[in-house]
Amino acid sequence: MKRVLFACGNGIVTSTMVAHKVADYLEENGVEIKYDQCKVQEVAAIAGDYDLVVTSGQFNENEIKTPVIMAINLLTGIGEDETLEEILEACRE
Amino acid sequence: MDAFVNGFFAAFQAVIDAGAYVMLPIIITVLGLVFGLKFSKAFKAGITIDIGFAGINLVTQLMKDQLGPAAQAMVENFGVQLDVLDVGWSALASVAWASPIVPLIVLEVIAINIIMLAVRMTNTLDVDIWNYHSMLTCGGLVFFVTGNIVWALVASGLMAVITFKFADWSQPLVSKFFGIPNVSLPHVPSVSSLIIAAPMNWLLDHIPGVKDIDLNLSGVKKYLGFFGEPWMLGLILGCIIGALAKYDIAGIFTLGVYMSAVMVLLPRMTVLFVEGLMPVSSAASKFCKKRFKGREFSIGLDAAVVVGNDSVITLALLMVPITLLLAVILPGNHMLPFADLAVITFRVCMIVALCRGNMFRSLIIACVVMTAILYAGTVAAPYMTAFASSAGLDFDSLIASTCGPSLTMSAMLFWSCITNPVVFIPAIVVVFAAVYFFIEKKVGMNRIQAYAEGKTLEEYEAEQAEAAAEE
Repeated sequence: MKRVLFACGNGIVTSTMVAHKVADYLEENGVEIKYDQCKVQEVAAIAGDYDLVVTSGQFNENEIKTPVIMAINLLTGIGEDETLEEILEACRE
Repeated sequence: MDAFVNGFFAAFQAVIDAGAYVMLPIIITVLGLVFGLKFSKAFKAGITIDIGFAGINLVTQLMKDQLGPAAQAMVENFGVQLDVLDVGWSALASVAWASPIVPLIVLEVIAINIIMLAVRMTNTLDVDIWNYHSMLTCGGLVFFVTGNIVWALVASGLMAVITFKFADWSQPLVSKFFGIPNVSLPHVPSVSSLIIAAPMNWLLDHIPGVKDIDLNLSGVKKYLGFFGEPWMLGLILGCIIGALAKYDIAGIFTLGVYMSAVMVLLPRMTVLFVEGLMPVSSAASKFCKKRFKGREFSIGLDAAVVVGNDSVITLALLMVPITLLLAVILPGNHMLPFADLAVITFRVCMIVALCRGNMFRSLIIACVVMTAILYAGTVAAPYMTAFASSAGLDFDSLIASTCGPSLTMSAMLFWSCITNPVVFIPAIVVVFAAVYFFIEKKVGMNRIQAYAEGKTLEEYEAEQAEAAAEE
């Protein structure tokens, strides 16, 4: 089971929305994940424990080795399916 | 008819008297049903939010029991009058959601948004219902203090109009500086800073010499990065306050650990609140988007999507110790910054974008913005404390946050409504109308676009003309 870290400005609002959409979508496609949420400022310190980082907005990905997917599309609703598929691919074993 | 109205008000009063835990699920269920959710889903959403509220309440109680006496001792030991506790934005936002006029204000804000979109007065579609908490706090506070539902709705309505326009006007910055197109930020806790930042930036731009100063703050992240981690921030602040309270070593460390727990637990509890609101929020989103098919607009989001920017994080880290220092040295300030030190990114993100990443300017403006927040929080504390206590969030001391009535935009509307609304509200409307005219007619969105891209107006217009010709 892949471990995914959802990050946003305060680790509360948009990361919750994104995490729920992703977890629901993955479940429909038979993929289970374990996930946590955090503030973007914490990502650099803890990203090493995860297989994938999904941010709801801007993030400087050069700071970490874990792959990062920016998922603002799940908030705006534009290009949502593509982003969900990208995350699904990354979460398949 | 009379009997019906009286019966309605009696029922309304009974719900209010029953307290926030009864009111919250009812409010959310009603809202969910209005937007077409099934009853079972709407009810579950309401209860989930209630669970979040209970959790927030538990954690703030822990903060009160531990931090309250320590702050008191600190006041006695050193005479620093920091007796207003910053319990964080989420605690106060949850209180606002438990106000009896929530359904009215939520529907009001959505109606205003739809009307403004329909008459093309705004480009921002704002269906991020969670963030209506700013309008709810403002309107809810006015209603709580004055009991006047009309002025409460005027306050929240005006705030909505102003917020949508601020979101429109700052959209080029979001698109160019943060690189996020088609998105605007009708997020009061972030755009409120522009009220102070925009005139100050203009002023700094017109002082010879100052104009070209910039700072390189790349080292800040390395040395102050730990301030960005809530557990560490809580631990350090708790230990400092414990030391100033002259606790023994064990006492100091205990307070540090408790405050670390508060910083980590408070967001976890708030997550439940957001989870509960999500079905209602998505239903409202569908409801609105259906009505504007084919129309191009910016989607209104939480500023959470831009605060990951490096310059924003850097400035926010630097503002943690500076805000604490300001709190100590500003005469007449009573607010002890604590829980909201974790979210300074939101207060400064639009400042950094407005200054196009110039850290010297951003830093100066951020100091003024935080000063305004500390003072407004101090002054509003008695009202905010009573408001929170009416929803079951009881404190022995006064409370505040850097959100709600501490924000410049809310502060102006709130004070106008509780002092002399007949004079001040028309005054605010006139000033806002003047600003509106000035920005849309004199400055123009093209000039803002050009500024955001770092070009002159002529360059930008030439490019636009070229692009149009190519098509």
